[in-house]
Amino acid sequence: MNFIKSFSLVIIISLFCNALLYAQIPAPAQPHPVAITGATIHTVTGEIIQEGTIVFENGTITALGTNVDIPDNAEHYDAEGKYVYPGLILSYTNMGLTEIGAVGVTSDFNEYGDINPNVRAEKAFHPESEHIPVGRSHGVAITITSPGGSRISGLSAAMMMDGWTWEGMTLHAPTGLMIDWPTIDNNDDEGRKQIQLIKDAFDDARAYHRARAVSDDHRTDMRWEAMLPVLEKEIPVVVQANDVRSIQDAITWSESEDIRLIILGGRDAHLMIDQLTAKEIPVIITPVLASPARPWQGYDEIYAHAARLHNAGIQIAIAGGYGSANAMRLRHHAATAAGFGLPRDEAIKSITLYPAELFGLSDRVGSLEEGKDATLIITDEELLDLRSNVEQMFIQGRKIDMADKQKNLFERYKEKYRQLSE
Amino acid sequence: MFHRLSALFILTICFSLLLESQTKPVEGLRDHTPAVYALTNARIVVSPGNVIDNGTVVIRDGIIESVGANVSPPDDARIKDASGRTLYAGFIDLYSDIGIPDPEADRDQRNVGQLLRQIPAQFRSFLAAMIAADEVPEGTLYWNPQVRSYIDAATVFKPDKQKAATLRSQGFTNALAAPAEGIFRGRSALISLGEGDGNELVLRDNITQNMSFDRSAKIGGRYPTSLMGSIALIRQTLSDADWYVQAHEAYATDPAGKQRPEMNIALASLRDVVGGDQPVIIDTSDELALLRASKIAQEFNLSMWVRGSGHEYKRVAAVKETGLPVIVPVNFPSPPDVSNPEKARDVSLEELRHWNFAADNPLHLSEEGILFAFTTDQLDDKKKFLAQLRKATERGLSNDETLAALTTTPAGLLGMDDKLGTIEQGKIANIVVTDGDIFSSKTNIKDVWVDGHRFEVEAVPEVDVRGTWSVSVVNPEFEGTIEIKGAPERLSGTITFDEKEVELKPVQYDMQRLTVTFPGDSINIDGRILMSATVTQEEMFGSGTYPDGREFNWRAQRLEEFTPEENEKPEHRIERVDLPAVYPAMEYGIPQLPEQPQNVLIQNATIWTQGTQGIIENADMLVTEGKIARVDRDISPPGNAVVIDAEGKHITPGLIDAHIHTSISGGVNEVGSTITAEVNIQEVLNSNNIWMYRLLAGGLTTANALHGSANPIGGQNAIIKMRWGALPDDMLIDDAPKGIKFALGENVVRSERRYPNTRMGVEQIIRDEFQAAREYEQEWQRWEQTRSGIPPRRNIRSDIVLEILNGERHIHSHCYRQDEILALIRVAEDFDVTIRSFQHTVEGFKIAEALREHGASAAVWSDWWAFKVEAYDGTTYNARLLHDQGVLTAIHSDNTQLATRMNWEAAKVAQTGVPEEEALGMITINAAKMLGIDHRVGSLEEGKDADFVIWERDPLATNTRVEQTWIDGRKYFDIEDDEQMREEVREQRAQLIQRALDALEAGEGPQQARRAGISPFNEDYSCTEDHYEFH
Repeated sequence: MNFIKSFSLVIIISLFCNALLYAQIPAPAQPHPVAITGATIHTVTGEIIQEGTIVFENGTITALGTNVDIPDNAEHYDAEGKYVYPGLILSYTNMGLTEIGAVGVTSDFNEYGDINPNVRAEKAFHPESEHIPVGRSHGVAITITSPGGSRISGLSAAMMMDGWTWEGMTLHAPTGLMIDWPTIDNNDDEGRKQIQLIKDAFDDARAYHRARAVSDDHRTDMRWEAMLPVLEKEIPVVVQANDVRSIQDAITWSESEDIRLIILGGRDAHLMIDQLTAKEIPVIITPVLASPARPWQGYDEIYAHAARLHNAGIQIAIAGGYGSANAMRLRHHAATAAGFGLPRDEAIKSITLYPAELFGLSDRVGSLEEGKDATLIITDEELLDLRSNVEQMFIQGRKIDMADKQKNLFERYKEKYRQLSE
Repeated sequence: MFHRLSALFILTICFSLLLESQTKPVEGLRDHTPAVYALTNARIVVSPGNVIDNGTVVIRDGIIESVGANVSPPDDARIKDASGRTLYAGFIDLYSDIGIPDPEADRDQRNVGQLLRQIPAQFRSFLAAMIAADEVPEGTLYWNPQVRSYIDAATVFKPDKQKAATLRSQGFTNALAAPAEGIFRGRSALISLGEGDGNELVLRDNITQNMSFDRSAKIGGRYPTSLMGSIALIRQTLSDADWYVQAHEAYATDPAGKQRPEMNIALASLRDVVGGDQPVIIDTSDELALLRASKIAQEFNLSMWVRGSGHEYKRVAAVKETGLPVIVPVNFPSPPDVSNPEKARDVSLEELRHWNFAADNPLHLSEEGILFAFTTDQLDDKKKFLAQLRKATERGLSNDETLAALTTTPAGLLGMDDKLGTIEQGKIANIVVTDGDIFSSKTNIKDVWVDGHRFEVEAVPEVDVRGTWSVSVVNPEFEGTIEIKGAPERLSGTITFDEKEVELKPVQYDMQRLTVTFPGDSINIDGRILMSATVTQEEMFGSGTYPDGREFNWRAQRLEEFTPEENEKPEHRIERVDLPAVYPAMEYGIPQLPEQPQNVLIQNATIWTQGTQGIIENADMLVTEGKIARVDRDISPPGNAVVIDAEGKHITPGLIDAHIHTSISGGVNEVGSTITAEVNIQEVLNSNNIWMYRLLAGGLTTANALHGSANPIGGQNAIIKMRWGALPDDMLIDDAPKGIKFALGENVVRSERRYPNTRMGVEQIIRDEFQAAREYEQEWQRWEQTRSGIPPRRNIRSDIVLEILNGERHIHSHCYRQDEILALIRVAEDFDVTIRSFQHTVEGFKIAEALREHGASAAVWSDWWAFKVEAYDGTTYNARLLHDQGVLTAIHSDNTQLATRMNWEAAKVAQTGVPEEEALGMITINAAKMLGIDHRVGSLEEGKDADFVIWERDPLATNTRVEQTWIDGRKYFDIEDDEQMREEVREQRAQLIQRALDALEAGEGPQQARRAGISPFNEDYSCTEDHYEFH
């Protein structure tokens, strides 16, 4: 444990060049097959493959295993002693919609008004955000970029962390409708009003679609138009709810609306295991690195939350804080959950396969299987060890530039001190 | 014209009822009604423990003339038979604002005054006089409007009949009334709770100066905004008051060549306070506030009484040690609202425990021998005082102790035990008349005598009309019976003729007159019959009207007395749940200081010494009397050693966080001024803080608790150990160097309405403050040489800045950008000062050489960035670059949640290529060096404090947990004990919630919940506020 950890020389040099000359240029389409060899491959859906090889071509995984034919024209990536995982999926973030938290005009995630089901995250996704490369350096390949701040905030989108335009970066959209469920008490008129806003929106949307079915002449309403995929259960509602009552109210409501529900937050979800399992409601835990709200609870209440829900048979995903600057801590959240009882493979799934399943992406990403996107990362140590570095990322087979603003500053000021020492 | 006359008439009547000032000319006839009374056949509680079972009290002109079993009433006395009555001395409330105008109300009144311009002149002047009394004098006050020491209760007092009657109903005959607004509030006056004008009712003026830690929102002033600011203002003001006396004396002796000291009536009003000639009363919000107050009392030699909080029982020994008398409220809380599972879940054990134990508070004070008096203060409904007090006596406080705390103790504190507090000859005739033991719930106060005047509390009808009466009506003749029953204030009754009973509706009875109405059905009359009568004990004589208008006479003779039905509900008393005392008095509190074994030997561990021995595998560590004795392989255990087999485990020094804001009461920032060197975190530490326990659970043993980042020069710091269960002062590392928080950049320039608004201004104001301190020092030096003339005024703010300039106080400066860092370094160098540490230092990596050359260290985050513009160049490589360039670098949290898991922050630094041992050093030895406490903590080396953590495995792994955390060779956290404590917390909460449900069912409470729901993030304060995890 006592040795200095450092980048491989190759990486350092490439970083250095990138920093000075190119600065994070989006990668071209995969030009030729790539074979990563000698790695411990976490396929996530199957067994861990020791000293395995993974081959991908035209952005798609074509083979993986210990005994794999490598095409002659393949670029060879020696990953001996290293680890390969699916690219991480951050299931709740404003990545691409914000740059500097304290500067309001850089925040593009909260539309005016309470009911905004029609706004779409991918449309305002900023491809040049400095948060994107930093997130990549910590393994995040896909974000579910989500509007937030309103009662019904809008539609989220699955974004790939590399590309020239938001269109090129959109993996899938929409992925879910974001709703913030109010916390209320008995006889809480304001709270009741807020809940009614949500209920009315769904009532109105259904009425709208009935009216459209009856008459083509019924005029367009952008809001209710946008809710069709939710009403037809193509995409889920992602409802932020933390206390027991909010969660239960949201479940009861979603049943009456016959829509798909994902609970976001879910701090008290362990108090309604029975209902969540009976109704098969998944929970996105956000964040894990937090302390309990109630002083009597154990210090590790939240750290152990994921394990508690998983052991009870609830499908979970793990996210971090909403702010894009937190993307770099995604695996830290998962690792903490693993440190406090969640099986390690489950912790990895909670930031790869499970988000993919929740948002309808699992036919393409979230695991390493033949035919799926070659969206993956290579790390020098185990992913859940915070000391590990993400050496390389591929998104749909495209080899990603691993430089970022933070590494560039590192290189820039190393140069300063090199000059000073001369 | 009619209105004017009627108003005058009303005023005249009012005045004739009042006692008048003796200097006021008499209008009309003089009043010389004798005022001599004898209360006979009474049970007299002369003083606590001294009872005359059957005696007489003679009152003459407001004074007790004689008391005794064998006293015969003088011939001129009016005899009041007090058989069955018990007499107590009148109660004294030492904390009241009765009759003191509210400044806000005054303002409204002034507005009203303007609106009422059109009313006739004589009324206008009358109103104007009332208003003028409330005008604040201007011109010679203290610079800070929260200092209102000059307000004199006796000057502004306005009789308040209603409040006086309320207090009398609870047995009070006197109250110490004081202005209730501001930090220095003014002087109190002792008030009689009778009726009359101010000249009559004020017994004595200028008794105490009242103070508070709470600024009044009703009064202006930008400063202070925090508890530590209030304390600083109190200290500076008292110091100024002391100077004021000296300065004026020096000037009076020889004015030649001296600048005349300013006239300042606020300071002049404090002349007798400093030094203790005049007592001060300060109000407190909890037991820690009381301890804070006591320190101020010590520093300025104040004679202090404390208006307690009801929380004193939590630290009763420490309260005792202050020696301060406590004026204690009986604001025992209602049960918390646990009426549904959601609410119950949000109630803390701390809250439940306080509900459970609050009524024991007076008993604990009494058992500890603390001098205490009761007050009605803090009760929303003062009519509940006796009911609340009885809860305390039910918990075992003796009647004598209770009575003393209401009578002799306050009288003694006032220095008026020759006039008040007992029923003895020569004392003021303030007497409470009850129908039994006053501390029994069945007892009622009948009368209260104030200054020899009787005030009825519970009207006792001279004749009880209730009972059964035979009725005869003449012309036409009817014979029947009437029965009157029910409670005196809600009577009911029936009338029966020819065995036909009808209900009387309504039944009214007042001053021996009965009025009833009933339908004539029973006497075959269609319509309602009206009757009234005058009532004596045996007979009624009355008249009435039939429905047809005929009038008649009637009479009645009593057949039977009324006997009340015995259907009172049995009293539902909620018993206390007996739980052990714990410190702090909340969840996870511990019964006593963890023991310190003479020797502890930890064996077979991987020990990260963070010292010259490096990391040793399979090693042992011997701890002796709280200090590290040896780290080595194969240490043989001393005979009495506690041996811990730590095979496979890792031991590190206790982690140190160079920057936290938890454990601070009453505000982390004093934003009332740009320079606030005078405020001190050490004075506002909060040991009742669950985060301390959580920090221990994360292996953090030491932290630098800092002022916020609102000011270029902020407040003084506190370097604390997480000695869970200790009092604030015992959390401090006693020989830690002094420090102070500075701040640069966005946070200090963003208040548009104060200087500075730019980084340029920040540089200038710090420079100016340094310069000012040097000049202040010279002023003192000049004076010290001659010691003649007017002494310089002590300026606490400059004193502290001077400590910085003289190298006696470390600067820990919040900063982001390289330019501001460099600018502060240059200012410091111009004054020969070294900045001890830069905090956050987000762009430190850009000027590492400047930090190194200056000798500054840097505390940084592992990975925070981009939450504001000046953090946009944040990089995870910051620590690595600084460290590589030879800057002493520590990782800090600035966020309490983060502080509970600093080992992982070190792991993230290791990710950037810093060797692991050095990364761990950034949260141990480097932080210790930065704070100047490395002689005590930070590494596991011989002679240092035995502060260490036993980790499940490699401390930088994510799957490692803290198994044990030790401080000073005492085990403060153990993961196994934690399991057990959780179970205890669960059981105790469950038990108390059940008891609270009993109380709710019995009709008590509930308290309003303090918050609804839970917040998704709970990370306590940080300099960056919500920018880290904004959502």
